[in-house]
Amino acid sequence: MELSIHQKKRIRQGIIFAALLVFTIVWLLPIFGAVLTSIRTMDDIMNNGFWSLPKNVTFKNFFTAWSEGNLNTYLKNSFIITIPSLIGTLALSSLVGFALAKYKFKGNMFIYLMFVGGMLIPFQILLIPVFRLSNYLGIYNSYWGLIMIHTVFQMGFCSFFLRNYMITIPEELSEAARIDGASEFKIFYKIYMPLSLPAIAALATLEFTWIFNDYIWALVLLRDDRLKPVTAGLATLKGNFITSWSVLVAGAILATIPTIVVFVFLQKYFIRGLTMGSGK
Amino acid sequence: MNFKNFSLITITLVMIMVLSFSAAAQEKLVVNTYTSDPAPRKAMKELVAKYEEMNPDVDVQLNITAHEDFKQAIRIWLTSDNPPDVFSWFAGNRAAYFVEKGLVMDISDVWKEENFYEKFPKAFKSISVFNDKAYFLPHNYYWWSVFYRESIFKEYGLKEPQTWEELLEVGETLKANGITPFAIGTKFRWTAAAWFDYLNLRINGADFHKDLMAGKIPFTDERVAEVFKKWKYLIENDFFVENAAAYSWQEGLRFLSNGDAAMYLMGQFILDATSEEVSKDLNFFRFPILDKSVPVAEDLPTDGFMVPAKAPHPELAKDFIAFLGSVEGQRLFAEDLGRLVTNKNMPAEVYDKLTLKGREMIDNTDKLAQFYDRDMDPELADKTMNSLMAFWYSPEDYRNIMKEMEAHRQNFIND
Amino acid sequence: MKRKYIPWAFLSIPLAFYTVWVIGPTIYTMYLSLTEWDGMTAPQFQGIDNYLQLFNDPIFYTSLVNNFKWLVIFMAIPVVIGLFLAILLSKEIKWARGYKAAIYSPMILAPVVIGLIWSWIYQPQGGLLNNTLTYIGLEELTRGWLSNPNTALYAVIGAAVWRHTGYVMLLFLSGLTAISPTVIEASRIDGASAWQRFRYIILPLLKPTTVIVIVITMIQSLRAFDFVSMMTRGGPFNSTNVLAHYMYTEAFKNYNMGYGASIAVVLFAIMFIFIVMYLRQIRKGELE
Repeated sequence: MELSIHQKKRIRQGIIFAALLVFTIVWLLPIFGAVLTSIRTMDDIMNNGFWSLPKNVTFKNFFTAWSEGNLNTYLKNSFIITIPSLIGTLALSSLVGFALAKYKFKGNMFIYLMFVGGMLIPFQILLIPVFRLSNYLGIYNSYWGLIMIHTVFQMGFCSFFLRNYMITIPEELSEAARIDGASEFKIFYKIYMPLSLPAIAALATLEFTWIFNDYIWALVLLRDDRLKPVTAGLATLKGNFITSWSVLVAGAILATIPTIVVFVFLQKYFIRGLTMGSGK
Repeated sequence: MNFKNFSLITITLVMIMVLSFSAAAQEKLVVNTYTSDPAPRKAMKELVAKYEEMNPDVDVQLNITAHEDFKQAIRIWLTSDNPPDVFSWFAGNRAAYFVEKGLVMDISDVWKEENFYEKFPKAFKSISVFNDKAYFLPHNYYWWSVFYRESIFKEYGLKEPQTWEELLEVGETLKANGITPFAIGTKFRWTAAAWFDYLNLRINGADFHKDLMAGKIPFTDERVAEVFKKWKYLIENDFFVENAAAYSWQEGLRFLSNGDAAMYLMGQFILDATSEEVSKDLNFFRFPILDKSVPVAEDLPTDGFMVPAKAPHPELAKDFIAFLGSVEGQRLFAEDLGRLVTNKNMPAEVYDKLTLKGREMIDNTDKLAQFYDRDMDPELADKTMNSLMAFWYSPEDYRNIMKEMEAHRQNFIND
Repeated sequence: MKRKYIPWAFLSIPLAFYTVWVIGPTIYTMYLSLTEWDGMTAPQFQGIDNYLQLFNDPIFYTSLVNNFKWLVIFMAIPVVIGLFLAILLSKEIKWARGYKAAIYSPMILAPVVIGLIWSWIYQPQGGLLNNTLTYIGLEELTRGWLSNPNTALYAVIGAAVWRHTGYVMLLFLSGLTAISPTVIEASRIDGASAWQRFRYIILPLLKPTTVIVIVITMIQSLRAFDFVSMMTRGGPFNSTNVLAHYMYTEAFKNYNMGYGASIAVVLFAIMFIFIVMYLRQIRKGELE
């Protein structure tokens, strides 16, 4: 029996759909395991193993994580640290990206190299020098130290990213503006920035997860629990000998909720911005 | 997402930050600890609450950091201009390290005023006082022993083994009934180090052990070989659970919980980790005596508190230290955690049955050690524990492993 | 303002910050690599001793090789799967949004939890992987994935791949949305096969995205740290150690800041070779 093109297409789509479904289910198994762990008691895990069905379901772990892990304070701190760092790094990097993409000058390549090099530095080794710097500047054990290092350290990647994006913006646009008497800064602000918004939004999503998930800088630059971000807060739920895995996982799940919100929100801009960009 | 919104968000955040900074300006006693396990965390919080209740004008800010992270962050705190006022730390070698570097404060005046020299058992003086000055406040300690499931022992008519031969007999009976003698999870290595400690303490005694830990005796010494030979016997004869290195100690505990294994060489904190039902079934015995002529020694890791040299509020800090040394400042750790505490005036009735048994065992002990990685230089401990893991994988190779450990010791001496 | 000063006007503020917070500390690290330092007392200058020690250090070589294995696997698996999924999901497929969300969900879960869950997947007794293998009759393949020195590294990378693939897919998806559908439609009418469309239309148009993906992948694999530190701490006996983790252990656990710094400098130097290669490449491209 001959199948029509339409039927063939439907069968093919059905197969793809089924394959994707299976793949996704397997892909989500670890997440499923995490959820399973968060809704059972430690005694249940100890007696029956991690990959067994819970004897009884409890949501107590979420409350314990919230109160023991001080998640409300830590989440607030995470935002106080992440958002200014994000804005700072994007603002500074777009200046760098613009200057490197737009102008040919002596030292262009060298500076580009410096920023690209910066993004490849194994940051762990900067911990002690940066700690000493922040101690010297008197911003050790405050949000400022963390905001500064995130802002500046992430400039490496952001400058690289934005420079590569801005170099694709046609020169004619700024030529036209210049004839109209626009200053160089106005060209940056009125032409390059709006046109780069999709790239900035994409970058913001990536950077958000990077900065938000940092934990070692917080460990080194902060002394007090009341200032720590949520990743460090979760880490304190890890015991020396005994860790309440179910509480730890429940805390981690709670801590992802704001990230998911930000993600969904930025992603809208992200895709819309990109399609706008391509339609020009 | 235009720039107006960006600047609005920025301004709001700056305001929030300014507000939170000004709130922080008032003076506080800052206490940083590594009591991040669920039960000690709770006890520490309650302890601080009690102190605040007794001193209503003092506001204590307790910061709890995970143990591994704490060990790294502490050096940063101590070298900053803004260290905590009090921090938790390990007795002995680890404490001496900070004393040598001049990073901690002499608290002899507290010891004198509070008469801790009399209130604490003598043994604690040697791990707290350096060059006649007290720097450390020993607070609580726990014992190590072989914990076992009473129900399993009962079922097969087993008795607590007192000697090596009896231990092997118990093991054989268990194996014959399909039960692994020992649960263990060696992923993070220190559980294996405990076995090394105990075999060495039993075979060669505490004095030899102490010198070995201090790097004064070569690891290629024939007496060390004896330790490995005994240990090798146990590994090769399936006394331990299979694939032990795949589990952390807590993951390995599952074998004890579900009855696949019967014993676990572990510290007292094992009782915090098991379910209530299993805890009730747990009992312990002293690690069997291998050589009657060797004085009995035990690992007895002691935790306590120190004051950084640059502590912003030294007077408050010392007052808090005095509180930690008092019966009231230790009661919760004894009552709720079942730890042994240093103040001799602690009434015996606060301890539960097992803790009393542990205390009795310690009272009948001749010599004490801390623990492998507490007695040894941290780097040497790190490297030689890797060798112990290599031994776990190929016990027949122990001669080479001793040589490897010796090479690490040589590096340590030359540094 | 003179024309040649204009770029510097834009660069001055960012460069000032960058010099103080990144360049300065980097140079300081280079100096530290020539010293012996415990992080607390004053550093002792001792010339190139650290480097001499490093080049005789078997753990250094193990870590270096592991880093390369990590890099190769990371370049191959997540990039290919990510691209494939992106192309598949950019089409109109039922529940595409849900699939996308599911596939990048690992990247928003805290690494500490990912490490924990994956350790349980790999557990020899009662672990998900071994249970599955036993169930489908491949019992002889079961083992202690993380405790076996031959498989431990790949097991750790597996967890990292799981997390990274979502990133890659997301980046490619954004790249694909930017490609105008009319271009692809036109080629379809011209009779190009699916493979030809992919090879000659989509892939070249995705080039800028691919560059970003490769750079991110490279950074992630050379900086690999989180999963090693959580799942194995470099064990069993250094079989899963990587340079970033080795450096961290030396500097922060063993108090050898100077030695740790020298590992960092070497790691940085290796990365620098890649950068220079890459820059020469784009310079050629942009001059054309």
